[in-house]
Amino acid sequence: MKKPSSLHSPRLSSKRRAEAHFHEMWSGTVSFSLVAIPVRLVKAVEPGRVSFHMLHAKDYSPLHRRMLCPKENKIVPPDEIVRGYELYPGKYLLITDEELESVSPERSRTVEIIEFIDMEEVDPVYFDHPYYLAPLKGGEKAYRLLAEAMHRTNKAGLARFVMGEREYLVAVKSTEGVLSLITLHYSGEVLSGEDVSPEQGKTEREEQDRLKGIIQGMIADFDPDKYADERRENLLEILREKAKHMAPVESPEVGEEEEESTVDLIAVLEKSMRKVKKTGEHKSRRG
Amino acid sequence: MSTKVAEVEGARLTLTNLDKDLYPSYGFTKAHILEYYRRISPFCLPHLKDRALTLKRYPDGVGKEFFYEKRCPSHRPSWVKTAKIPRDNGERMTVCLVNDLNTLIWVENLASLELHVPLARAHSPETPDSMVFDLDPGDGADILDCGRVALIIKALLKELRLACCLKTSGQKGLHVLVPLNSREVTFEDTKKFSRSVAEVLQRSYPDLVTARMGKEEREKRVFINWSQNDPSKTMVCVYSLRAREKPVVSFPVAWEELENALDEGNPRRLQFLHSEALSRAEKQGDLFREVLVKNQKLPYL
Amino acid sequence: MAEKTFWKGVIHFSGVDVPVKLHSTVREERIRFHLLHGRDQVRLKQQLVCAYEHEPVPREEQAKGFELEEGKYLLLDQAELERAEPKSSRTIEVHEFVKTSTIDLFFFEKAYYLEPDSHIEEYNALAGAMREMDVAGICTWTMRKGSYYGALQAGGNVLRLTTLRNADEVIPVKSLEIEDIPLSEKELKIGGDLINQLSAPFQPQKFVNEHQEQLHAMIDKKARGERIAVLRPRRRKPTSPDKLLEALQASLKRAG
Repeated sequence: MKKPSSLHSPRLSSKRRAEAHFHEMWSGTVSFSLVAIPVRLVKAVEPGRVSFHMLHAKDYSPLHRRMLCPKENKIVPPDEIVRGYELYPGKYLLITDEELESVSPERSRTVEIIEFIDMEEVDPVYFDHPYYLAPLKGGEKAYRLLAEAMHRTNKAGLARFVMGEREYLVAVKSTEGVLSLITLHYSGEVLSGEDVSPEQGKTEREEQDRLKGIIQGMIADFDPDKYADERRENLLEILREKAKHMAPVESPEVGEEEEESTVDLIAVLEKSMRKVKKTGEHKSRRG
Repeated sequence: MSTKVAEVEGARLTLTNLDKDLYPSYGFTKAHILEYYRRISPFCLPHLKDRALTLKRYPDGVGKEFFYEKRCPSHRPSWVKTAKIPRDNGERMTVCLVNDLNTLIWVENLASLELHVPLARAHSPETPDSMVFDLDPGDGADILDCGRVALIIKALLKELRLACCLKTSGQKGLHVLVPLNSREVTFEDTKKFSRSVAEVLQRSYPDLVTARMGKEEREKRVFINWSQNDPSKTMVCVYSLRAREKPVVSFPVAWEELENALDEGNPRRLQFLHSEALSRAEKQGDLFREVLVKNQKLPYL
Repeated sequence: MAEKTFWKGVIHFSGVDVPVKLHSTVREERIRFHLLHGRDQVRLKQQLVCAYEHEPVPREEQAKGFELEEGKYLLLDQAELERAEPKSSRTIEVHEFVKTSTIDLFFFEKAYYLEPDSHIEEYNALAGAMREMDVAGICTWTMRKGSYYGALQAGGNVLRLTTLRNADEVIPVKSLEIEDIPLSEKELKIGGDLINQLSAPFQPQKFVNEHQEQLHAMIDKKARGERIAVLRPRRRKPTSPDKLLEALQASLKRAG
């Protein structure tokens, strides 16, 4: 069966999506009072379907973002990368992961709900980025309980936790039985709207009522599916046209990145040799 | 008209014995040779640049006496670029750098039909910018066998995410070059790596490949000469003529071309005469450019 | 203080035109770190690298591809990308109004304050009408060659515009496939009581970024050459399913 192309089906295959989403970025515990729920943080949003992949023009290999040492013009493997705080130009103080975690050791493993709030009270200007929380083994029941109890009380948990170099103020919310985590801006980061707020003259009651009438006539249900993005639509149109007369290019198979240096060269060559022989990519038969 | 004063890129040069036939059984004079090198120079010069040239001079043409000249002749014109490279005895030797068309024409006027250069540049003689697998067929094996080995090497290197380029030696063999272009690699690295590859291939294809130089071992097999990865060795430069009966060129081969030649079982598809070399190079550009620019790291060393 | 203006536009619907200027709503101040090469502390930069060759790929060798299926791409060139660019325009076109509460917060992306550029009375009237009706205007606009859709809302006296994510950018809840585990009414009741006990109004100013301050202190200490004590974060022991009710009861007692 021919797989539907993504030009027509807006979603990628469920398997790939699942792999993509559940890439874990943090795991730890959500707690409220004496209850502790092991969880991991997963993505709740991702780039849309009309997003492009950067490819190598030569062989159409996908491009990955990596850290490059500009002095040696070399890709630097993760184990050679360190974190530095710039004391003054060009002079860095190295900070290790352990030192970073030592700043708030509890918060770097626990999302501790301090209190419960009404989500409606949170000005949307505070919303930063949404994630989902998925239960880890053994935490499924407590997870369900927190989600269901918050749903019934229409409350959300307010908590703080540390991920990487940063502490986040977050809301833990229940959505259809699933816990989500929305990072919030600290109030110190939220600029006041007062500065741009206009002078309040006498309200033009008449004009306001006229506008209300117009707005009333334009009331609809929120339906994110129907708001087409002009650029996306244009691109899709161009792509559909193009697909008719142009074959897609294929990228070569890209293996997993392996640990280098620890492996014996001969052993690697032997292993690769077996693979080469098996796939019969060459023509070793004599004519 | 046997002697002519030529002006090449502003430099004056006296060209001698222009009608001397240096490939007598084919009919190819020094004038032809100069014309070949003039036209191939845009492709050839980047590969010669900054490398210590070893002249292989055939004053009386192919099949006659020849001699190697590593030292740059003292009667050279003032504009010939040179470098001083250390010799084993501690002395420093002045060598020619063929960095421009003038020098190339001057060198050819000396009947240095073949151009041989090391894998490293003169200013960093211990840093090879490519690794080579010199595939040399023993008795009873031919260039198509070399082609089979080249394909295996390519597939094996691909597993290690290394790209490589292929050229004919212009004689019976093939050269597989792995671009490196990194300041960190040494001949010790390239020798170890190429030798390991050669030995693994020999174990996997004992009837086709040998990693050893001995004559009997090479019989009906392809010898992978890994020992070329050495600062003291030179290789024939890509686009150089060879001093054979016909003016055959060491020329780049696209991998599909090799596969086609193997499918057809036609060794002549892996032989490029001067005229075909010129028309192809002018049409397709330098297939060997990657060797100069691609930066690759030898893994697992 | 509000940040400086970076874009101007005109809110437009049904004969209504309100010129506005956009301002940022947040300004993050955080300690920045840089990634360095361990051996010589050279600052690293991000680079696109060929997944196959593991080599940096310069801009002129990069291509844009739309993935049709795994590993198969349709290439697009610069001219085609430019052709897809929406016509630049200053209009923030309001298409319809929705009840504010019906927009799931997962769709909110980035908020801007709108300052009236003129027509202050009209601005005030619009803000007042929307506030009283508790509606958001769904609008589209183009800004810096991108097309956006967003929600126009009134926050107090100030109008704001929040870009919204497209439907296919929000991962559906169902994809998590959370198992439905039966809970007893008793557990739910105590859980609910506990939440109510611990409820408070949302007062964000109560929370300052303590971590940021402590991090600064740690950096200062280390810069002075003092040793940093390494503290190991510990994971809390999960509440096992059979101890859940007990833990809830104990919590409630403690809260009460």
